[in-house]
Amino acid sequence: MSSVVQSLTRSDRLASSSARTILLLLRARAVLVLVLLLILFSVLAPEFLTANNLSILAKHVAISALLAIGMTFVILTGGIDLSVGSIAGLGGMVAGYTITQGIAFGGATHYPPVAIAILITFLVCLCVGMLNGWLVAKAGVAPFIATLGTLYIARGAALLISNGKTFPNLAGHAERGNMGFPAIGQSFFLGLPAPVWMMVALFAFAWVVATKTPFGRHVYAVGGNERAARLAGIRVPRVKLITYLFSSLCAALVGLIIASQLEAAHPATGESFELNAIAAVVLGGTSLMGGRGSVTGSLIGAFVIGVLADGLVMLGVSEFWQVVIKGVVIVLAVAIDQLQSRLQAKFLPYLMRTNPEAGR
Amino acid sequence: MSYPDIILEARVVTKRYPGSVALDRVSYRVHRNQVNVLIGENGAGKSTLMRILAGVEKADEGQLLLNGEPLMLRTPRDAAANGISIVHQELAVLPNLDISENIFAGRELTRAAFVNRTGEDIQSNAALVRLRKPMQVNTLASQLSLGCRQLIELARALSQGSQVLILDEPTSALSTTEAESLFTVIADLKNAGVTIIYISHRLHELLYLGDHFTVLRSGKIVGDAPRAEVSRQWIVECMSGRSDTSDLTAQTRRTSGKPVLNVRGLTIAASVGEEGAQAPVHDLSLEIREGEVLGIYGLLGAGRTEVVEALAGFRPILSGEIALRGRKLKIDGVASAVQAGIVLVPEDRQRDGLIPELSIRENVALAGSKGSFLSRSKETQAVRQLADDLNIAARDLELPVTALSGGNQQKVLLARCLMRTPSVLLLDEPTRGVDVGAKAEIYRILRALAQKGLSILFTSSEIEETRTLADRVLVLCQGRISAEFLHEELTDEALFTAASPHVLPLETTPSVSGHIA
Repeated sequence: MSSVVQSLTRSDRLASSSARTILLLLRARAVLVLVLLLILFSVLAPEFLTANNLSILAKHVAISALLAIGMTFVILTGGIDLSVGSIAGLGGMVAGYTITQGIAFGGATHYPPVAIAILITFLVCLCVGMLNGWLVAKAGVAPFIATLGTLYIARGAALLISNGKTFPNLAGHAERGNMGFPAIGQSFFLGLPAPVWMMVALFAFAWVVATKTPFGRHVYAVGGNERAARLAGIRVPRVKLITYLFSSLCAALVGLIIASQLEAAHPATGESFELNAIAAVVLGGTSLMGGRGSVTGSLIGAFVIGVLADGLVMLGVSEFWQVVIKGVVIVLAVAIDQLQSRLQAKFLPYLMRTNPEAGR
Repeated sequence: MSYPDIILEARVVTKRYPGSVALDRVSYRVHRNQVNVLIGENGAGKSTLMRILAGVEKADEGQLLLNGEPLMLRTPRDAAANGISIVHQELAVLPNLDISENIFAGRELTRAAFVNRTGEDIQSNAALVRLRKPMQVNTLASQLSLGCRQLIELARALSQGSQVLILDEPTSALSTTEAESLFTVIADLKNAGVTIIYISHRLHELLYLGDHFTVLRSGKIVGDAPRAEVSRQWIVECMSGRSDTSDLTAQTRRTSGKPVLNVRGLTIAASVGEEGAQAPVHDLSLEIREGEVLGIYGLLGAGRTEVVEALAGFRPILSGEIALRGRKLKIDGVASAVQAGIVLVPEDRQRDGLIPELSIRENVALAGSKGSFLSRSKETQAVRQLADDLNIAARDLELPVTALSGGNQQKVLLARCLMRTPSVLLLDEPTRGVDVGAKAEIYRILRALAQKGLSILFTSSEIEETRTLADRVLVLCQGRISAEFLHEELTDEALFTAASPHVLPLETTPSVSGHIA
């Protein structure tokens, strides 16, 4: 094949470079869209770029970004987690219950401190994640079905906890020693809301895991070619299980944040959040087939969705049109994802010819 | 009792799959620091044996010994820990990771909790240099040629410090130069004390590389000898064997009917996929006459499947003319091929043929019903008729198709094709994964169909099958027809020789490649 390399013609090289450019643009589409949206909304709505609005925007984005970051790992393995919205709802209700109703044992009702309430919340949500992981990795249930089931189970559990009612007044009582819950969602640090810092921290963690650790690499390997991953000695079921656990943990955090912000836990919290998260992940360039994508992309995707929603509100676009526009954006994102894969396959010969490995 | 020259041994190993015995009390010895060649036709059990040695599968019975000590292998990890690694026939490369990541997949080097990328790169480079193929270690595997992907797997095995390296048909997808450099690498490895198990269909290679030869046939070892006692003829005789299909062989052969299918200059693009590309088919011409059984014989990767899939409309045709009974035909999809009367029984029953959730009747009748509504009674009647004709052994046609044995499942697919009253029947490896008795039965059915005037085109990688079934044979080698034989001209050796690509300039040292600036 060396002769091919040497006889690379000018038109080939041209085709190769334009192929690279197109692919690069497609890969960076989320950033491009985000920049375009920011410019568009700042021009059309002068109050869009104010510090106050951006702070509100960041808080909204944080919710979907947290879910999207957790979802990214699941999708990278070729799976999907539909249960995150329900887990968030369940998490809020568990926290609400332990703070307002306490835990009865030994004949008396104990009101655990907030830290314990949070811990209990995480544990309960991890159980759902464990169930997801077990169903998918060990029982071999298709991820869509498994997590669709747990979507209902977790939502039902959330409704059962309070019989469908809301737990109000999560601020706690001094005499019970369980004050401080609202701080999770409402406190500020260095001028930014706490949830935004959580998003930053979780993103940093997830980025390091995805790009710098053996586990992250295994996630990509499982999504890229599960058989080959297994033959390479990667413990595929374990990798999958951990991704679902992590996703449920992120969902629990979101549930806590929302309950804390509202100082109330409502069993319907988080409905359809999973779709937002999936949309953010896909917008960020992660393939639903697995193996391709990044945590960074998902963060940007979450920003796109957040900015879009926020900006449309500021422009006074009708609520119903907002829903339509969001749908259009998601459909476009998936269509472009397909286009990218197809173009990549098509351009591969060009890319290979100029490859440093030189096709020999 | 110990054998200092035996590094690895499989003792009385048996492996059964549903419906067939892949390995039947096989005892196999691997000679230390030699190139141990394992030969056998498709389905002889070579790959199964190797998968057991590499910990990918577990034997039902028997035991393994490493240096005379009993060895338990539960996973590929166990095998690697014991210094045994395998380069798989279907390349197990992760397309979305780069070279270095692939080499260390599943056993990453770490510093603290993080991947030690620098260390991995250095070791990857070292392994690639040892393989005489320096490459940029951050190149994505999906952008590499097949030969390079193979080298990645070799590099992975090397960096694990393997003592026993299993190469399962390593050259089947490689170009000539790539194969040559692989042989240099194998010689290097042998000099470095590595024991190699080498599986291939290509006689030239085997005779050039091999130190010890073992032949498997239908799950049994039928030949075992050092290089000095091995000749080309010995291999072919061991491999092909003879079985009781003499009644078929004696049948009159027809090659004189009216031409039915006429193909001129068929060219098919190389399939670029994750799984591994096949040689593209170049400018292939063939003609099938009425009532003729035409065989296409070729080794793995010769392009057999591509030809029949293209004729069945399942694979795009780049150029070429196809005429059916003198009328020009445009095949641009399966529907148009079926419309014209060309139907295919695919090679991989499970993947491309059967619908496991459906019953035998539904599988046969699939897409065979005409009109807008299904008529259950007519359908059952038609299927019953075909099932009786083909002798499908099923108590009840409403049973799930998965309840049938391999041979009967194959007959279900055959019945499905016949339900469309084809003028040309294409079969890709007609008896893949079918036991011996059912094989002979399928041959008889096909011969009988031909007697009634049906034109049949089948592909095969089995010498015996080709010899038994075909009136006329085309040999396909690297996408081109390399020979044509009438039934009476056919000899095993001529067939095999025509199918083997002439890879080796035996006298010259294979050139060292990889120095492109």
